[in-house]
Amino acid sequence: MTELKAQEAQVKAEPDRRPVRRNGLTHGRGLVGVVLIGVIVLLGVLAPLLAPFSPQEQIEGANLLGPSGTHPFGTDEVNRDVFSRVLYGIRIDLFICLIAVPAGALLGGLIGLVASQTGIADVFAQRAFDVVLAFPPIILGIGIAAITGTGVLPVVCVVIGAELPLFGRLVRTATLKVRELPYVDAAESMGASRAWVLRKHIVPNILDSVIVQLALSASGAVFILSAMNFLGIGVKPPEPSLGGVLADAMAQLGSNTMYAVGPLLVIVVLVLGFQLIAQGLLAARRGGAS
Amino acid sequence: MTAYLLRRLPSLALVLAAASVLIFAVIRLVPGDPATALAGANATPEAVEAIRAELGLDRPWVTQYFAWLGGLLTFDPGRSYLIGGTIGSLITESLGNTLLLASSSLFLAVLTALVLGPLWAGTRKPWLEHLLTGINTLAVAVPTFVMGVALILLLGVLVPVLPSGGVPRDGLLANPSITVQYLLLPAVCLALPIGAVLTRYVAESLRTEMAQPYVVTALAAGVSRRRVLLRHALRNVLPTSLTVLGLQTGALLGGAVLVEFTFSWPGLGLLIERAITGRDYPVVQVLLILSVVVFAVLQLLTDVAHALLDPRVRLGGAR
Repeated sequence: MTELKAQEAQVKAEPDRRPVRRNGLTHGRGLVGVVLIGVIVLLGVLAPLLAPFSPQEQIEGANLLGPSGTHPFGTDEVNRDVFSRVLYGIRIDLFICLIAVPAGALLGGLIGLVASQTGIADVFAQRAFDVVLAFPPIILGIGIAAITGTGVLPVVCVVIGAELPLFGRLVRTATLKVRELPYVDAAESMGASRAWVLRKHIVPNILDSVIVQLALSASGAVFILSAMNFLGIGVKPPEPSLGGVLADAMAQLGSNTMYAVGPLLVIVVLVLGFQLIAQGLLAARRGGAS
Repeated sequence: MTAYLLRRLPSLALVLAAASVLIFAVIRLVPGDPATALAGANATPEAVEAIRAELGLDRPWVTQYFAWLGGLLTFDPGRSYLIGGTIGSLITESLGNTLLLASSSLFLAVLTALVLGPLWAGTRKPWLEHLLTGINTLAVAVPTFVMGVALILLLGVLVPVLPSGGVPRDGLLANPSITVQYLLLPAVCLALPIGAVLTRYVAESLRTEMAQPYVVTALAAGVSRRRVLLRHALRNVLPTSLTVLGLQTGALLGGAVLVEFTFSWPGLGLLIERAITGRDYPVVQVLLILSVVVFAVLQLLTDVAHALLDPRVRLGGAR
């Protein structure tokens, strides 16, 4: 009898996956990731309040100053406050991430779903993904920038282009896998419609992997977009971006060390933070499954 | 093996053909008139006309595409408008530098994985495991160019022991010991993410492998753990590790652009960066198609090597 109760408790505990996911972010690596990203997001959101200067304001007589109370990261070669530029750079970078990663996920996910349902669409989608994936992401960025020129939009396009096939493949494979499961088979044989199976079984099943991929993609997106800005084919100067400020700082390493350290630290924290969140979620999912 | 290749080649050809059409379209999709853009701001109308005729922009697209493709296949891809000289000579000048950088990085990456992978999998010291995990996570996550700037800052500026970029004045071949100094930072930088991914993969596969029955048998027969790990488990892990390394070639190509830019290393990556900022489209196109071909061929070679080492892959599709 007690054995039965224990079994019952286990069965009850299992389908509820919410606590598992939350656990991934409330301790260990996941928590560190959430805190790191949270701090940067806060800095970006509060930039207008925190920044002591406008990011494009040229302060008289403040040429390549070292770090000080008024200029925590010093000033750059055209007398702008580096700290303010980094804060506003966070905004642009996060804005691009916030637009491009979900857009890539949504488009890729939809294509993946459609591809998994119809044969001919699948062939087209797979070959199209092959072609996009034939370009390493940075090379893809260079190709797109060659057509569109510099600006925020090309960077958004590149991130979408790089992330879309990943989500497409992920959703397609996961959907095909779930459809093979006996209980989905059973539901279909009982006359369940495709849409019902999709909503009831497939989407909840693939949601976990999609969320992990979102965190990984956010990390990848920060890499790609700051790399493009670093190469000078992203956001147009004088608009500040983390990669752009870092590239400007490269020429002044000898005169103001903090100039480079500021954007460098923020990029590392962003990329690492999203990676840690992904690792935390993944670990929680593995733990929850066993 | 032939059957395996025959199965793979058509899809490869298809992808390359589609990519070449896309890349060809680059010059047509540029807003405004490409000839005007290439001729520069102060060009005379005659100069613009001359470029238009040279690129064949007045002919139909299909003719242009095949003329361009023909040029590529006969190693005569035209000339550079910004930098000067033929694209062929620009590429031969830079190719050696990129190959040196890429091969040194690959060597470093593989060496790291072969040394640290077994160490990570075999260690029983928690502190060492945590240390390796931490370093690995950082090395995977930190973008190559960020690592590059950090290294330049540390070892080139704050403690100036290594040159912070460029190449030796007398060329790379004049004095190997000086060349190594210039090569070290960019190569380490490019090797880090690739080596880190590979190391993690080798370590994780080794851990799985060490739980296999044959390992348990060998251990029970009195073979030392170290010997089982290095002589038996590692050998079984290598074929799939090779595939993982092959998948990293995309990171190698993209990383090369960033590393060469960061360290002013005069290779193909720096050339494409110069071409793109100078809007030298013919050069951009050739370098784009080159990188796609190299990427595709490297992936095919990896798969072929994997198939040679593992008959299951080779025969897998025959069912």
